[in-house]
Amino acid sequence: MKVTVEKDELQRKLSDIQNIVEKKNTMPILSHFLLAAEKGGGAITATDLETAFREPIALNVAEEGSLCIPAKKLFEIVREMEGDITLESVDSKWLKIKSGKSLFRLACLSPEEFPVWPSLSGEAEEMVMDSPVLLEMIDKTLYAAGESDTRYVLNGLLFHIKTDGTLTVVGTDGHRLALSRKTVGAKPAEEKKIIFSRKSLSELRRFLTDEPKEIKLAIGKNHILFTLDEIQFLTRLIEGTYPNYEQVIPAAGEKVMSVDKNTLMKALRRVSIMSKERSSAVKVDLDTATMGISASNPDLGEAKDEITVEYAGSPLSLAFNARYILDALGVMGAETIVFRLNEPLSPTLIMEEGSEEYKYVVMPMRL
Amino acid sequence: MEKIFLCIDMDAFFASVEQQANPKLRGKPIAVIGSGARTVVTTRSYEARKYGVKTGMNIHEARRLCPHLILVVGDNEKYTYTCTELEKVYRRFTPDVEIYSIDEAFLDVTTTHHLFGGPMAIGAEIKKRIRETFGISCTAGIAPTLLLAKLASDLAKPDGLRWIRAGDADSVLENLPVQELWGIGSRTAESLVSLGIRTCGELGSAPASLLRNKFGIIGETLKGMGRGLCNRPLVTGEEDPQSIGHSITLPRNTMDRKEIGSTLLRLCEMVGRRARKCGFVGRTVSLTLRYPDFETFTRQSTLSCPTNDTRAIYDRALEVLNGIRLRDSVRLLGVCLSSLLQERGQMHLLADVEKRRSLLRAMDSINDRYGECKIVRASCLKQAEPPGVISPAWRTSGVRNIRVK
Repeated sequence: MKVTVEKDELQRKLSDIQNIVEKKNTMPILSHFLLAAEKGGGAITATDLETAFREPIALNVAEEGSLCIPAKKLFEIVREMEGDITLESVDSKWLKIKSGKSLFRLACLSPEEFPVWPSLSGEAEEMVMDSPVLLEMIDKTLYAAGESDTRYVLNGLLFHIKTDGTLTVVGTDGHRLALSRKTVGAKPAEEKKIIFSRKSLSELRRFLTDEPKEIKLAIGKNHILFTLDEIQFLTRLIEGTYPNYEQVIPAAGEKVMSVDKNTLMKALRRVSIMSKERSSAVKVDLDTATMGISASNPDLGEAKDEITVEYAGSPLSLAFNARYILDALGVMGAETIVFRLNEPLSPTLIMEEGSEEYKYVVMPMRL
Repeated sequence: MEKIFLCIDMDAFFASVEQQANPKLRGKPIAVIGSGARTVVTTRSYEARKYGVKTGMNIHEARRLCPHLILVVGDNEKYTYTCTELEKVYRRFTPDVEIYSIDEAFLDVTTTHHLFGGPMAIGAEIKKRIRETFGISCTAGIAPTLLLAKLASDLAKPDGLRWIRAGDADSVLENLPVQELWGIGSRTAESLVSLGIRTCGELGSAPASLLRNKFGIIGETLKGMGRGLCNRPLVTGEEDPQSIGHSITLPRNTMDRKEIGSTLLRLCEMVGRRARKCGFVGRTVSLTLRYPDFETFTRQSTLSCPTNDTRAIYDRALEVLNGIRLRDSVRLLGVCLSSLLQERGQMHLLADVEKRRSLLRAMDSINDRYGECKIVRASCLKQAEPPGVISPAWRTSGVRNIRVK
């Protein structure tokens, strides 16, 4: 193999795979990526066994071939180089890297050692989505998913595709739950529930763009493949049963409160300065048209604030982890937010005004 | 103002309590042991000390040295009760009391001693009251620092009363071997010997730079200790705990994962219950294992949400255990919950978790009312009772106040 590539192109493509290649030295091959050069163009492939990623790279191919190259080391080298870079393989064991007068020889592995790209079984269900829509759905749910929870399904997001052509994405850590539902057109023969990990999704979202592009999803038995332009992102599905999220969403409570998002966010941030460490418990007192927010910490002192809201129900006092509310408000687009409340110890539903697409359910704290 | 501290140290505490409770044991060599199959001597009476019986010896070693040694299985309830009652005696003389361990206490009498006729009078009065009320003896050390007060009581043992005044400190310390000092163990002593320092006098006059080079930041502290100084304050209030843990030496060494697992569950239940009782949740679960050759190691794992749920602690501890390739059978098993926070009452969304929490609440209230382990998980039924030896970290209140049998 002998190719020439622009420094910026190579550096950008190498930076795309840095999070996927294995940093720990458990399996040496996983810290390498596969560079394949053909007359028609080049491609790089990286995998950590849970996810696999493939993307084209603009190469000037003098001699076809492929090689497994240490991803981190090459990235470090390329960053420090200037001008076009020539890569040449020697005996499938070494890579010569040349740019101007600089010359490197890097120990590599044979391309045969690279894990095979997992193939989706024949009956993969295909659907097409707009990239910005998928991006929004992930951003609005991913933060609510668990992290290193022993109930491992909670460390992922649920994609629930129904026969009526709706996709529901759900994330929960057991204290709060975020749900985003949209009509995406594709109508599968039977409904599908798939779960995949938080890590692979946060990796995927880096490649999703705001530009109106189409992203193709192919859902196989064990894997899901996302294709955007010529980028391919494949990830393994998590086995297991996701909690019944529909059961968790409270029936529309009679107590409805609407509030300006920014006013509430500012007040919550102010008051939670005085609540204890990570739990940031704040007390909320609702009365006609007002919401009192307070926090106290025996070692520190207390804080109180009051904002105007639209509320006509009976007075209600409850406590929340302020961070849980702020997380949700942070991803909501609407200016006005609607709270649907029940009893002080039952779940509260938070939604954007005039839309049923996004639902956030949070469990209060005991006062 | 120069401080005045008292260190009250019970003489052979567990053994004295047993001898007091059973007149037949008085004046005889006795050793208090745990209830398990592989127990060791926790305390021995002064009569047994003459034969060379030491704390930490197993029963056979002790019997070899003293064939007519009487072994008494420790009754922790007696000791914790006595410790709690002793605290009441101390509090008649000053509000600043630190229960340092089950048989040692520090009192700051700087501002109160004049009310009772001076420090020596307080020491004598406390000794008298303890003897009259509990029939056991103790030693009182008085000094301007905690370090010297502890030293005074160590030097005056048993049944002694000694005051090391600020002016006398140098002469007491001059030829005293360094390992006699509270806080200098055999390791530190060895390192000091390599610098040619054997006595406190030598330690106090050693160049600070020499000690700093060898010991780093604590070098200066060590030099101060050689002169009887101590910057440790009296800890009177209960501080928030750093961790909540329990460990147990298994009745026999085992490699059986099922057996280890069920002991683990029991330990997790003890840890979870104590955390729930004291209102703490923790994020880090550590598992400690000891092999028969006493190699001991700890592995830990961090949870995303702090918990005090027995099941969540157990699941994570088991995960840690399953990640370890045992090279030998297991002798000791320990579980610890750390990165503690006050529980803030965040409720759970998922019905199964809330259900489990209600179950725990119900179990806890049954055990609160009828005594520990009245309701347990079925897989814990066949196991031995919790550890028979009381931890020296036991306290009269707070998170380290463990109900013992």
